[in-house]
Amino acid sequence: MEVPKINDGTSKAGDWRNYKRVLLPPVRDLHKLEVYEQNGGYSALRAVLNENKFDPKGLGEHVKQSGLRGRGGAAFNTGLKWSFMPPVDPDVPRFLCCNGDESEPGTFKDRQLFEYNPHLVIEGMVLANYAISAKACYIYIRGEYASWIDHFQKAVDEAYAKGYIGENILGSGFSTDIVVHKGAGAYICGEETSLMESLEGKRGYPRVKPPFPAQKGIWARPTTINNVETLACVPLIVNKGADWFAATGAEKHPGPVLYGISGHVNKPGVYEFPTGMLITDLIDEVCGGMRGGKKLKALVPGGSSTPVLTAEQCIGTTMDADSLREAGSMLGTAGMLVMDEDTNMVSFLRRITHFYHHESCGQCTPCREGTGWLEKLVTRIDEGEGNFRDLDLLLDLCDQIEGRTICALADAAAWPVRWTIRRFRPEFEAKCKPSTFAGADLGDGASTEPAPVS
Amino acid sequence: MPTVTIDNQVYEFENGDVLLQFCSDIGIEVPHFCYHPAMSAPANCRQCLVKIGTPARNRATGEPEMNEDGTPVINFMPKLQPSCAIAITDGMVVHTQRSDDIVEEGQVDNLELLLINHPLDCPICDQAGQCPLQNQAYKFGPEGSRFEFQKVHKPKRIQLGPHVVLDAERCINCTRCTRFTSEITETHQLSIHNRGDKNYPITAPGVEFDDPYSMNVCDLCPVGALTEDYFRFRARVWEMSKTPGISTYGSKGINVDYWVKDNEVLRITPRQNLDVNEYWMPDAARLIYTTFNEDRPAGPEMLFRDGGRGPADWRQAYDAAAFLLKGVEGSETFLLGSALATVEDNYLLMQLAEHLGAPAPQYLSHVEPGSGDDWLITDDRAPNAQGCERLGMQELDADLLKSRLASGELKVLYILQDDPVGMGVLSEADLDGVQVILHHTHTTNETLPFANVALPIAMAVETIGTYVNADGRAQRLRPAKATRHMHRPQMMEMGLSRLDRQGTPFDRWHDESNKIDCQPGWAAIPEIAERLGRKMRWDGPASIMDELAQTDAFAGATHKAMGFTGVPLEDVGEAV
Repeated sequence: MEVPKINDGTSKAGDWRNYKRVLLPPVRDLHKLEVYEQNGGYSALRAVLNENKFDPKGLGEHVKQSGLRGRGGAAFNTGLKWSFMPPVDPDVPRFLCCNGDESEPGTFKDRQLFEYNPHLVIEGMVLANYAISAKACYIYIRGEYASWIDHFQKAVDEAYAKGYIGENILGSGFSTDIVVHKGAGAYICGEETSLMESLEGKRGYPRVKPPFPAQKGIWARPTTINNVETLACVPLIVNKGADWFAATGAEKHPGPVLYGISGHVNKPGVYEFPTGMLITDLIDEVCGGMRGGKKLKALVPGGSSTPVLTAEQCIGTTMDADSLREAGSMLGTAGMLVMDEDTNMVSFLRRITHFYHHESCGQCTPCREGTGWLEKLVTRIDEGEGNFRDLDLLLDLCDQIEGRTICALADAAAWPVRWTIRRFRPEFEAKCKPSTFAGADLGDGASTEPAPVS
Repeated sequence: MPTVTIDNQVYEFENGDVLLQFCSDIGIEVPHFCYHPAMSAPANCRQCLVKIGTPARNRATGEPEMNEDGTPVINFMPKLQPSCAIAITDGMVVHTQRSDDIVEEGQVDNLELLLINHPLDCPICDQAGQCPLQNQAYKFGPEGSRFEFQKVHKPKRIQLGPHVVLDAERCINCTRCTRFTSEITETHQLSIHNRGDKNYPITAPGVEFDDPYSMNVCDLCPVGALTEDYFRFRARVWEMSKTPGISTYGSKGINVDYWVKDNEVLRITPRQNLDVNEYWMPDAARLIYTTFNEDRPAGPEMLFRDGGRGPADWRQAYDAAAFLLKGVEGSETFLLGSALATVEDNYLLMQLAEHLGAPAPQYLSHVEPGSGDDWLITDDRAPNAQGCERLGMQELDADLLKSRLASGELKVLYILQDDPVGMGVLSEADLDGVQVILHHTHTTNETLPFANVALPIAMAVETIGTYVNADGRAQRLRPAKATRHMHRPQMMEMGLSRLDRQGTPFDRWHDESNKIDCQPGWAAIPEIAERLGRKMRWDGPASIMDELAQTDAFAGATHKAMGFTGVPLEDVGEAV
């Protein structure tokens, strides 16, 4: 029996050309509290807290039914994640953590939410706090977003003043806090456990799991951690219902999503559409086609750590977890890097390996030492000094690094190397020094005589 | 008992056992660097990776699933797991490098990565020979390296504090040192600096690593990154012999190893004893190594009849001491015991006092109130005050002694291994007209100029004996270095306690040059007693303790029973 192909070339985003934006609706000055309120802001919070639309468990159940999957990269079911929290113990405080450390090259979606719709994020955080009975939500924003941190802090202050956060919210008896925390410029602090270490004032080293954050998170208390965009979806689910959410976009990975598209397209930027958009639709229609009318060569679909796709692999593939897995990559953060035919894939990989070398926290041996070695090898090839055997060594190193460390940074460093070499090997071989060994494969299928000894 | 299967063999374990520790305890070596039993397991070196499986359970019923042949179905984790961070569960199946090629390759891979930025300067590294990285690289590592680039360069020869020197390039970032300052001493002085392959441990800017326990990080360091300032480039570890002993620093009875080359103590390191000092010792207890080598006496001295002072031979000196004691009544004699000397020596001194009819010997307290901490540094600077107490010796009543000296009541003062003048207890005036017999260890002893007979006594690294620490634990001293006159028990013990039995090929332990001309108390006191008509028939210190072990205060504390970790003694109010 033939397994039906997920990527049959049809878009799963439905009538996306008439899609009405909900995460970033086209409303002027939406970041102002009164404008947000005029446009139905905090109605989800009122419905839950004042009109008893959901009890905490019911809200979690509703989010689970909506099929909302985390937007931070791992695409795990959010409602299910909330249900991992242990039963409420009044003596043990519980926390929500909002991960706004987006530092992955190619990812810049959360920034838009901080800038244009901060109250949606705040409302989502309060709702999530309610669902998991959290005492407080810590939002960790990368330090480089200095002005967005100020901007977001202002929104939080306004919400406090209006009683949407703090003691006895909207007279419901539910109290919770939001704390904005500024990162200090380390990519690793976007990893959930090192984010918590950093929040606690320690060095940003990922923790050994188990125990998982739901058992021991911030200050060894039960903690749930979600991405900014994930939490921003929660008020929408409350307002419009789980059924609406589940019906938007791809069936198994539904909802609106912010596509951060950068690279060689005419109109790069953050675009909100349902999940399951055809990559070709996004490039050709949404972004106005390839820059200079060039041909697509490669695409990184979800931030620099996700495996790169060739142009052929992009055709018929839609932007949702299952479709991209079939194509040989991952949705990640939906931060798409588009590369045209003039792109040098070796130089591209060199820059990526430099990033992971620079950002490895240095805790685990394979990642600390391996990322540097990867960069040195790719750099050597890029400079024309590499050997054919370096390519196999690179692939070997990926095996040595991947899955051997505490956190996933090593995997994130190894995947681009592995898949870029696998999918664009001839380009790498072309940059290597010609081999002087008889029988060596120069990539043309033929072998050569040994070079004369001079 | 729950069971675990390791390399196809079933073992019983107790709940809460950590896999790596359990493997070590049953004798399976799993290579590791960052794990230390006294500290948290960060699982960051990734060297102890093993393959782990747990019995499969039916999701619906919770019943264990079985294969057709009745054996349980094992679900193996897809990734290799760090055994230092795994608590063993019932039915767990573990494959170490001994039975699984994937695990073995994983460990080889990890060592290759560990070594790419390591300078491999073993020939000039102090750690070579006792280096976990060196040992495990030979044992579990790759044949060579595929790394063809310049290694990462980091600062070298950084003086972190008064006693510790850092070579950051050798560091493998196991974080043992930073965890030591944050979890054990809680001074938080060391932390990792920088990120990725550029990181290394260091103090914050302007902070000195002056933790009183700082040199423990040199023992913890699994490479040569952190070394003791005093020991750098003094000797290769294989040139020295290592003898288990007890520290003379304070009354805690810290278990140590004495590292000796050419009969000089070059280094003191802590020896594991979970009941006393665990794995640690204070810096000050290491730095006293010089006291065993420097300012040591050149042999016995005495005041000759013509009033001149000079070297004597041992028989002359014993004769002179006996002559002095014989010439006065027992009541005109006072014998001063010592908290610095062993239980055996003090016991013999008491026997001598009894024979002379002298008042009971007392000992001089070395307590300096407020100088200790709550841990391994004690207010009492002497190692054996408890031993003296248990022998029934009382602390010296200095005022009474002074008045008796002043009244001319006392004619002879016999001092065992102590320095009452140097400690300010007695003055030159007090000793005017008093005959002094002194067992001294150093030429800097300030009582020495007043001694009529001076008999150098062997120190803790040269003698055999027993110290009782402040908590009442009897622990044994072993001779770590040879003296000029070796008695049979010392020769026997040297042979037994030096692992190589005879020093090393690089160790000229048999040369005379650094041998001290001294006698252990248990050899010297019987010589004097014999001249006074009292035969002391013991076959050396072990038989003295055999006798004392029959008493309540030292019940069970024979040399054999004390072994390497000592015997905790019963608490008896007043003793013997």
